[in-house]
Amino acid sequence: MKAFEWVSPASVEEAVSLLKSAPASKDVDEAARPLAGGQDLLTTMKDYLTRPVRVVNLKGIRGLDRVEGDGKKGLRLGALVTLAQVEEHAGIRRDFPGLAEAAHSVATQQIRNLGTVGGNLCQRPRCWYYRLEEAVCIKKGGSECFAATGENKYNAIFGGGPSWIVHPSDLAPMLVALGASVNVSGPDGRRAIPLEKFFTLPSEGSIRRENVLKNDELITEVTVPASPFAARSTYLKFKERESLDFALSSVAAAVELGPDKRVRQARIVLGGVAPVPWRVPKAEEFLKGRALDAESLAGAARLALEGAEPLSQNAYKIPLTQTLVRRALAKAGGVSA
Amino acid sequence: MQQQSPAKKKKKIKVPRVVNGVDTLVEIEVDDDGSVAWGPNDKHALLNHRLPRVDGHVKVSGAAEYTHDRRPPGMLYGRVLRSPHAHARVLKVDASAARGIPGVKAVVASTDDPARKELVVLFAGQPVAAVAAETPEIAEDALRAIRVDYEVLPHLVRAEDSVKEGAPKVFADPKEPNVEPRDKRGDASKVAEALKGADVVVEAEYRTPIIHHSSLETHGNVVDYRGGEEATVYASTQGTFTIPGDAAQELGLKESAVRAVVEHMGGGFGSKFGIGVEGMLACQLSKQAKAPVHLMLTRKDEFLLAGNRSGSWQKFKAGATKDGTLVALHAVQYRLGGLGDGSQAGQPYIYAAANAYREGYSIHTHEDASRAMRAPGHPQASFAVESLMDELAYKLGMDAVEFRKKNLKDAVYHRQLDRGAREIGWGRRNKTPGAGAGPLKRGMGCGIGTWGGGGNDECKVDVTVARDGSVSVAVGTQDLGTGTRTYTRAIVAEELGLQIKDVAERIGDSRLGSANSSGGSTTAASLAPSVKDAAVKARLAVAERLSPLLGGAKPEEITFSNGGVSGGGKTLSWRQACAALPAAGVTGHGVWQTSLAGRGVHGVCFAEVEVDVETGRVRPIKMVHVQDIGLPLNRLAVESQMNGGMIQSLGMALWEGRVMDAKLGLQLNPGFGDYKLPGALEMPELVPLIDDEDTREAVIGVGEPSIIPAVGAVANAVHNACGVRVRELPITPDKILMGLLSERRGA
Amino acid sequence: MADEHDVKSSRHQESPPDPSRRRFLKGVGIAGAGAAIADHLAQTAEAEATAARAEAAKLPTAGPLELALDVNGRRRAVSVEPRTTLLNALRNHLEPAVTGPKLVCDQGTCGACTVLLDGKPVYSCLVLAADAAGKKVTTVEGLGTPEQPNAVQAAFVEQDALMCGFCTPGFVTTVTAYLKKNPNPTLAEVREACKGNFCRCGTYPRVFEAALAAAKGTVSDK
Repeated sequence: MKAFEWVSPASVEEAVSLLKSAPASKDVDEAARPLAGGQDLLTTMKDYLTRPVRVVNLKGIRGLDRVEGDGKKGLRLGALVTLAQVEEHAGIRRDFPGLAEAAHSVATQQIRNLGTVGGNLCQRPRCWYYRLEEAVCIKKGGSECFAATGENKYNAIFGGGPSWIVHPSDLAPMLVALGASVNVSGPDGRRAIPLEKFFTLPSEGSIRRENVLKNDELITEVTVPASPFAARSTYLKFKERESLDFALSSVAAAVELGPDKRVRQARIVLGGVAPVPWRVPKAEEFLKGRALDAESLAGAARLALEGAEPLSQNAYKIPLTQTLVRRALAKAGGVSA
Repeated sequence: MQQQSPAKKKKKIKVPRVVNGVDTLVEIEVDDDGSVAWGPNDKHALLNHRLPRVDGHVKVSGAAEYTHDRRPPGMLYGRVLRSPHAHARVLKVDASAARGIPGVKAVVASTDDPARKELVVLFAGQPVAAVAAETPEIAEDALRAIRVDYEVLPHLVRAEDSVKEGAPKVFADPKEPNVEPRDKRGDASKVAEALKGADVVVEAEYRTPIIHHSSLETHGNVVDYRGGEEATVYASTQGTFTIPGDAAQELGLKESAVRAVVEHMGGGFGSKFGIGVEGMLACQLSKQAKAPVHLMLTRKDEFLLAGNRSGSWQKFKAGATKDGTLVALHAVQYRLGGLGDGSQAGQPYIYAAANAYREGYSIHTHEDASRAMRAPGHPQASFAVESLMDELAYKLGMDAVEFRKKNLKDAVYHRQLDRGAREIGWGRRNKTPGAGAGPLKRGMGCGIGTWGGGGNDECKVDVTVARDGSVSVAVGTQDLGTGTRTYTRAIVAEELGLQIKDVAERIGDSRLGSANSSGGSTTAASLAPSVKDAAVKARLAVAERLSPLLGGAKPEEITFSNGGVSGGGKTLSWRQACAALPAAGVTGHGVWQTSLAGRGVHGVCFAEVEVDVETGRVRPIKMVHVQDIGLPLNRLAVESQMNGGMIQSLGMALWEGRVMDAKLGLQLNPGFGDYKLPGALEMPELVPLIDDEDTREAVIGVGEPSIIPAVGAVANAVHNACGVRVRELPITPDKILMGLLSERRGA
Repeated sequence: MADEHDVKSSRHQESPPDPSRRRFLKGVGIAGAGAAIADHLAQTAEAEATAARAEAAKLPTAGPLELALDVNGRRRAVSVEPRTTLLNALRNHLEPAVTGPKLVCDQGTCGACTVLLDGKPVYSCLVLAADAAGKKVTTVEGLGTPEQPNAVQAAFVEQDALMCGFCTPGFVTTVTAYLKKNPNPTLAEVREACKGNFCRCGTYPRVFEAALAAAKGTVSDK
């Protein structure tokens, strides 16, 4: 880890100011970074993927670790709420079960005891080229995505180019499915950003970043609106190694069923297959008015993976994700897959 | 491998005796069933029982001091700078900035010695410099302040690329080609002829990737040299006595002036012999700084430069007749050991083929040299031939176990196959691979392995009985986690009729009696006989002293049991007995006894797995391993080691493997995130079965044999479950899903 | 590439004072982590000095930081850089060193460095020492001794839940914390609790047995 300045402000305003006032850096990965749980940030620092000149510790800021609200009023999660808090929170388990499942699916209890909601959304990609210091890929200021023609079994089948990373967050697909927003504080004050617009494709925003946050901005809170489908939400994550792994593919699903058991609306967001949480509106649309049965599940699964553009080694993600879509929808809807 | 029983012969042994007040060794004769025999395996007081390990309490409480934990006063932290290029000429190493960082106490660079030939790095990860500093943080900064100029040369990290016409050379030396022939055996034309007469023929290629030892304690040493004539090296090693010579050479000292200490070590699995490049660098740093240097590799270092199990690429053409006889087998075996030769057991491994031919080669690449890893070459060979046997059996429509028996001469395999099949419930298996409703399919498979083992005469053991009744056993050997300390104590305690707690062991120190390195499962078979010999001699020496107190009973007839010593109709307590010893106590000097060691074992593994054919997940359900090992010194530890073998084998089958990028020449998964060791949720029910029908009264190591057969068993179980034959390890979900897709397309 | 980073310039370098920042920090008082430090050590004579240090920590500093770590119930003063992890501080900066937690992967992927932070298992390689100040750090040494092992430690020995033993402190720590949370677990729950700890020798089945035995209280007293 490269040496850095350390500071523990007591308020969001101070934190923002300290991010802004940090010594100028030559490279975006040397910019000051806020430290929440640190479960990803420290790993990137140890491998010199990020080399922040200043680390602004957020844990001295009071009030960012609260869970408020419920399924009726909507949910407010402070950025410093830990994943362990989310998975164990009775109200979340009851009213937003998919969110509790997504939190539980992250890594291990050791990570979840420290890892935070804000940090989970802001973690850096897991592509092994990105994670390998010696491979100066396009995400690190190089000119090439080595995965495009290299060892790409874990890489993107949607939204790729000019980088084929996948977003590693488990909370993100679920929160996008639930229509969540993030509250962001910066030098110009606060703004709310729908999570769906928070993440950026490599072809959209800066190739060096995965979201719209500026260097001197912080996520302070995640808000999840009350919705008719939150209580029927679920998160299915498929790992190559069950004990500890990132998703090869995951599916966040939520459905609202009418009294006739037909789908009123559905949300389907894929994880681990694209550089951002990948919502599949066509499949959502398809389900409207249909009962969840083998046929409709298969149809939704097919549509969900329509347009996938696999690389040389990751075509398996298509059948895999189709299975997960079917199973997630079935689970959310309370039917058998 | 044939089981070999110990030779039963009459022996003369030397025992200490006091003659005219002087300790001398005298030769005594031992009967045929005399002292230096283990006796029947089921008649032991301690051995062949379940003995909790004696170093358990220090290990579970964090008190055990491993090499990584050593903190001699004034210690510096060393780090190694690795080449980021797979093949490059080092033009210049500029360490001036590093030397200028406060707290940096020593820097060594490959270019320090102007007399040395230019350095060409041959793999990404090869050390080019090293530093020692007051803190780990400063050492890291110093490392990154070193500037190295490289001339990058073309690299090869794929066997397929290395064998291509016109490929760049891995080694500069023209005498070292990219592809080196190894062994050749049999008559290829006869095999080709025999294949014509076969009813079924299978032609297949099997591949296994490079596997990492992944010892949790990385390689490394703490070299305590402060100038002067002597040094102590704390080493994480499998060979206490491999350290002093290596270190002495680097430090410019006499070998006898360097003491190696291996109190506890955190795993080796074949990768830790000698001081290694990291140890040489630590010595150079320590010598330069005149201070102790702690140089333990980082995890990434460990992946890149600390050795590995060679990969394999094996091509077969084999044929069998309808009755299940393997009539012909042609094998081409490539060992993929990077810069090293790699290893591979020759095909058809344990099977009898009427006509067999094989040729073996090493294919070199720009990757660090392979090292021995737990049963070198055997899991690779076993996986391939067991897959092949299965393919032949299915093609013949024959039961996979019956087909194997038909082609195995050794009856031990037959009995072990029967036992394993019973235990796993072989009758329940899928008769047709992939059969059954629903996405979750169960399947079973089996595999077989063999190992030699055996002991040697390197161990010199002292067992000392003091006048106060305390007993100690001392030998410089090392305990890799195999339970060496525990059986060493137990042998002595049993011989003297005491309990384990009554004996203290001292090991892991080159100042103590010599011992062999722990490789090839030879430790127990070398050490245990020597300990036994020392204990017997100590017992006889005590008995000799007590004879007058026990009615003149002959020393050989005096019995030691339950903490008492009896003879001539009298019994003394241990304390009373020892009070009769001379002030210095008595010591038995033990050497190896051929009759106490055996070699040659068989192992059979059965696995049951569940495959989700809609996701490709393989869930291991149960594994059974049947193993003969002669006399199990400690059943608890033997079973633990067998569990460990099954688990490592399972890891190789389903998750593990080095991944290289051909273009960059870099390993993409040099860490435990992407190099996936099996964890708690991957564990099946594990059933380690000691084959007690092996009644050899001889010690045989069990470390290696237990890792061999499970890889094939798991691969065959996967096929039996879902119908997909994955011929390249690891068997990951992508391969199963794509395999199912191509089967469906084919159908 | 890494070797282009100017390492020297960033070491032991205080950032230039920023009057505006100093102004708004003034009067904010001790809060957050600073408050936690102050609360924890309020009884000690050094509370005031600590509070002053906490206040000083509000200014960006490249260190060294003078920290008071609470390790196994003992207050341990240590001077480290901001980048020093808790694991590194325990093993390499405390005198005498606390070497029960092992450095194995340094990436939060193996569990050998597991310690309890305010009673919860965490990877100490992924916690900055500065961030652990004011919290209770419990290492395997704080759970029991060779002479007086806790129930989990005794069960590990009895069930032979260790071989080389290098992963063992992490497992013992994880299992001890888990049994406190769930004293009567199922095998499935034990496996789930252990999934963040990796072993190479292959002790898992016996780790599970040991955890269940410790929970059932069937471990013989030592």
